[in-house]
Amino acid sequence: MKKKLAMLMAATMVFGLTACGSSDDSAAKDDTAKTDDAAKDDAAADDAADSDAAASDGEFKADVNGDGKIIVGYISKNLTDPFHGPINESGTQKLDALVDEGVIDEWTGILDGNTDGPTQINCAQDCISKGCDYVIILPAEAEASDPAVVQMAEAGIHVVVVNSKTNSTDDLAMLYSGSDDVQAGEMMGNYIIEKCPDGGKYVHCNGILGNSAQIQRTEGIANTLGANEKFEMVADEDTQWKGDLAANAATNAMAQYGDELVAIVCDNDDMSSAAQTACNSNGRSDIFCIGVDGNQTPLQMIKDGELGATVYQDGVGQLGAAIDAIVESINSGSAPAEKEIMVDFVLVTSENVDEYLQ
Amino acid sequence: MAVKTEKKVLGMERETFRQLMGKYGVSLIMVVMIIAIAIYNPRFLSGTNLINVITQVSINGMLAFGMCLCITIGGIDLTVGAQLALVGVIMGQVITNSGMPVIVGVLVGVGMATLFGFINGFFIAKFNMFPFVVTLSMQLVIRGAAQVISGGRAITFDATVKNMYYGKFLGIPYPILALIVVFILMYIMFHWMKLGRYILAVGGNANAAVASGVNEMKIRIICHTLSGLLAGIAGVIMAAKTGTGQSNIGVSYETDAVAAAVIGGTSFAGGIATMPGVMIGILIVGFIYNGINMIGIDANWQSIIRGLVIIATVMLDMAINGKNRK
Repeated sequence: MKKKLAMLMAATMVFGLTACGSSDDSAAKDDTAKTDDAAKDDAAADDAADSDAAASDGEFKADVNGDGKIIVGYISKNLTDPFHGPINESGTQKLDALVDEGVIDEWTGILDGNTDGPTQINCAQDCISKGCDYVIILPAEAEASDPAVVQMAEAGIHVVVVNSKTNSTDDLAMLYSGSDDVQAGEMMGNYIIEKCPDGGKYVHCNGILGNSAQIQRTEGIANTLGANEKFEMVADEDTQWKGDLAANAATNAMAQYGDELVAIVCDNDDMSSAAQTACNSNGRSDIFCIGVDGNQTPLQMIKDGELGATVYQDGVGQLGAAIDAIVESINSGSAPAEKEIMVDFVLVTSENVDEYLQ
Repeated sequence: MAVKTEKKVLGMERETFRQLMGKYGVSLIMVVMIIAIAIYNPRFLSGTNLINVITQVSINGMLAFGMCLCITIGGIDLTVGAQLALVGVIMGQVITNSGMPVIVGVLVGVGMATLFGFINGFFIAKFNMFPFVVTLSMQLVIRGAAQVISGGRAITFDATVKNMYYGKFLGIPYPILALIVVFILMYIMFHWMKLGRYILAVGGNANAAVASGVNEMKIRIICHTLSGLLAGIAGVIMAAKTGTGQSNIGVSYETDAVAAAVIGGTSFAGGIATMPGVMIGILIVGFIYNGINMIGIDANWQSIIRGLVIIATVMLDMAINGKNRK
């Protein structure tokens, strides 16, 4: 009995580890056919990557490690966040298509960054081991994920940073594709100024302090609402991107300031939708809550008339632009002319919500 | 394994075989796992990749050894993830913001983690509180302390600190050396010294241990203090790895530490553990993460696969040597 169980478990384990090899099944099969010699070649290629890195200053090579294959890596920020789900999905579709079209030989599948800098560094090392030539990374942290970018760049890999920058992105990455978060903050500020011409008191709900999106969106809010004499910020809450904390902040501010409270400006729209829900259920649907991202819950609330507006961040567009630039770089055999691609934010209201609601 | 009731198994006496499996069964699982991944991607076996994996597991390794001690005495230490954050921000304040030497930052950071470990042990042993409850609450206190110390901001380190992760001695990365040293010390402490036998005794049957003159309270405090110390060392490695100290780092790192300890044969019933087993458990957890990336498993399935592989490994280990582990 025990032995049967043991064999069953062994089978499950091997099956679990192998049978689910997904998108690059064909690539995996190619690898299976490789002999030990090939493994040695790979190791040699890894070593060669270091010397190529030095040479790459002179000329651009799409196949950085000279193994005759173009391999693209994809390090996600995480697999669970509603904002990143659609981005990862679109990445899978686009990169699968590139493999089918023969533009690239294989890609790593989506590596799970687990919203954790150290995990992303591990993934970066895995990408180097796998012989990647281009790696797309959506950093979890500006500081803690930076060694991932540095190590890949040192190994000669063309690093493409998407959505938010790490500290050495400007120096080391081949390309950055993202959006200007100051613009998002200003769009929120201007929306509130337009909706509340008489001014009033407002609350600002922060993302996790120190995160680049939090800093820049806050800057945009300061440029607009902060510079407007009619408005007064009565609370600058450490709500850590969390809807429940923003709802608490809204409830507290309503109790404290009553009718003087006119708006709650949030660094993301998980928070603004939760804050608006708290306001609405306290009979204060006159308070304007706004945030950034364009997640499905706030969009649905706009559709249902419960929320005024949200600022849509086109994450799928950012990734798409990055992948297009990689394809162009492979075809032309040169680095992209522009090192930075900026994708615009969009103000979503009841008028255009249907374009974004899935 | 296919051989059924013959006296001899693979040319060995049945009992010898059983003992061998008891000792090395989990290593066998690891070897099977390595072969399976290598078949899918031969690059898995490249020297660079293997050194990467062992370097990567060093953080979880330190945590797992400490976790193993706490589980062995019938408890658990859920604070280890928060300890990583605490050590990082303390090092940041001491080294970057106050300009003191790196060694001072490291000592203060590790010292604080050890102190918090001691406090965990003190609450658990002195007031007979449940380890789960104490460490769950202390996790909040420690992460909160990290937030207060850092003000929620990331503190950057210079190359001297980073070198503690990325530097090498005779071609071997420092974290691997640290892991080896800790493993040897833990092995000596656990398998050669009286303290190790006392820990097993308290975990196996606390009343019997006390009756034979073992100071139960002292042993519990020592185990949690050691867990704090090891988490402190892991925190230093983590700070060097990321080049930053920040309070939101290390969330849920205790999960992998528990997984490594349990895969390594540490029993939640208490009183059963071996350090070589935990070491293998640590490597297996590392191979699971690395293997999933190397094979390229579909994103949405990764978490399920990780969980199932851990369960399967533990069950397989139990099935292979159920008698030895009972």
